[in-house]
Amino acid sequence: MPKTILEVIDLKKHFFHRKGLFSAFSGEERRIPAVDGVSFYLKENETVGLVGESGCGKTTIGRTVLRLAAPTSGRILFDDKDITTATTEQLRKLRGQMQMIFQDLDAALNPKMRIRDILREAITVHHKVSDEEVSRRIGELLEQVNLKKGKLSNFPHELSGGEKRRVGIARVLSVGPRLIVADEPTSALDVSIQAQVVNLLRDLQSQLGLSYLFISHDLRVVELISHKVAVMYLGKIVEMGLSGRIAHAPKHPYTHILWSSLVEKQSKESSSATRNTQSGIWGVFDFERPYSGCRFAPRCPVYESQGRPTVCTDPASEPQLRDIGDGHQVACHFPL
Amino acid sequence: MKNAPLLKIEDLRTYFYSRSKQAFIRSVDGVNLEIRRGETLGVVGESGSGKSITALSVLGLISGGPGVIAGKILFGSNGEQKDLLDGLEGYVKIGREQNRIMQVSKDVLGWERRSDEVMRTIRGGEIAMIFQNPKASLNPFTPVGKQITEAIRLHTKITDAQEAAERAIYWLKRVKIDSPALRFDNYPFGLSGGMCQRAMIAMALACEPALLIADEPTTGLDATIQSKIVDLLAELKSELGTTTMLISHDISVISRLSDSVVVMYGGTVVEYGPVRDILTASISSKHPYTSALLASIPGEEHVRDKVALQAIEGDVLDTINIPAGCRFYARCNRVTPKIRENCERREPDLREIAPGHRARCWLYFD
Repeated sequence: MPKTILEVIDLKKHFFHRKGLFSAFSGEERRIPAVDGVSFYLKENETVGLVGESGCGKTTIGRTVLRLAAPTSGRILFDDKDITTATTEQLRKLRGQMQMIFQDLDAALNPKMRIRDILREAITVHHKVSDEEVSRRIGELLEQVNLKKGKLSNFPHELSGGEKRRVGIARVLSVGPRLIVADEPTSALDVSIQAQVVNLLRDLQSQLGLSYLFISHDLRVVELISHKVAVMYLGKIVEMGLSGRIAHAPKHPYTHILWSSLVEKQSKESSSATRNTQSGIWGVFDFERPYSGCRFAPRCPVYESQGRPTVCTDPASEPQLRDIGDGHQVACHFPL
Repeated sequence: MKNAPLLKIEDLRTYFYSRSKQAFIRSVDGVNLEIRRGETLGVVGESGSGKSITALSVLGLISGGPGVIAGKILFGSNGEQKDLLDGLEGYVKIGREQNRIMQVSKDVLGWERRSDEVMRTIRGGEIAMIFQNPKASLNPFTPVGKQITEAIRLHTKITDAQEAAERAIYWLKRVKIDSPALRFDNYPFGLSGGMCQRAMIAMALACEPALLIADEPTTGLDATIQSKIVDLLAELKSELGTTTMLISHDISVISRLSDSVVVMYGGTVVEYGPVRDILTASISSKHPYTSALLASIPGEEHVRDKVALQAIEGDVLDTINIPAGCRFYARCNRVTPKIRENCERREPDLREIAPGHRARCWLYFD
């Protein structure tokens, strides 16, 4: 039975945003509940995928879990230790064990540093090591991520997208982490290169026994790499379970729509069945739009087809994640 | 004349010069393709393969030297066929070494003046483009409706402001923006990514162009929004029958919307033919690059059997150092001992391997 490496309990991260110059005095604030009560756990050598549209809070979860952002409430357990209120000093030590692959390739690498220096900095920050040891370690890392030695004296802008991604991964590996939060590691890459990176991440997992929290909006990649998948909508997890079940037998209407939009894009004749499920009020979601009850109701095709039942919009009965067998959880009053 | 293609590109070359490397970046290096009237031509390829540069060359929007240096762009509209690069030779001197362009001197300013003259009547009105990044391509200081109105007044016979505004609203409605009259006064920052994309499409179509170039119309949008935009493009295609050049690296989008497909690699066309011949995974008579590209897409079987994806090893071709032989040779996994020598030394031509289906690969020639 693999150990649980990360457990998140009712995590909330709200952002506040003042309205106008004088709101500091009047106390009027807008609250943006980017992550609004999320619980999940991650076992060793396992991958949990987080999917959802942009703006649903995926990245915020990743950052909060690593304590790059302070949570508003909730608890984060890493190795059964509560790190929710860890001090900066403690966090520095923890960062040797948990790392993040950042989404933006160009913003993540210092444009004025050569690749060698980027990697050296990462190695020496956590361990005091001699120069020879550093070069040996850099050589090892390059081999692990399959990058040519000749690239070491290049600057980030001289590398292609795939190579930059590899440098990012090498830097993360340099500290020897056990948990990696991978934030959209394959978006912005071509399919051929995307496949290289996905294969690399899987190989590294089996070689080094890493655990991933894999954030992506690319459903296919998530299904491919994850053992479990959590689908997010407006700061909440609406469905969670084994990746095969989420992909092939989704229970939440939102998951179903996410998948059918993927299939529909490919097929020449979109079937009328998928078209019907999409006929909800198809706006983009918005944290500032008021809702009551189920967050997804305004866009939900099931809500429409059930004749707009009041239970969906009743503020007292927001659907909670409940188990429907085999560890499959869904937050919906009318699961498919 | 009726059957002549709407757009025919012959041996187009667009180069840039890298000062730090002291060499040419051969972004587009001998592209041939044609688009028949009413057809949608999909252009696929990895980033850096020259897709967007081809499109920008057609529109005369290349800035930076030397830019377009050779080729013909034949555009037939209003009953006559016009070469958009007519007179280009007068501005460019090309020095060749061993059949390869090594020196270019171009009167860039003179050419731009000349090109602008030719393109003024065509750009926007005859050929319209949907640019890659909708948020960046719209003017952030002007309401979207006003931007569309401006395009209509410039490029169509409608010059009356009121009439043009009505027309703009009609097109906003046509691309399914809800409450178009209200959105008319919105600035681009007030619209979501998907809506900006719709506004871009409205602007391009409002001038009723003969040719629409859509450069990555779905990239950067969420999956749900992407499928909506693809639906919209499919619907507009069947209703208006606009001839379209669709550029994308997303093969699913291309296969849904296109009639023919061009596969580009390293600045050249490596395969060209009907969509069913090229993008159907089961058909084996394909260019190795196309098959490799199709194989690297995560599919059902990868998930089911937990097998590794088939990545194409190596990186996209560096268009500065182009090899002597086949451009794909270094990454190709279908080189046989019989053709190895050819692959290494000589670049194959684009030849017909089946009716209407051309490929650039030694596998298919003797």
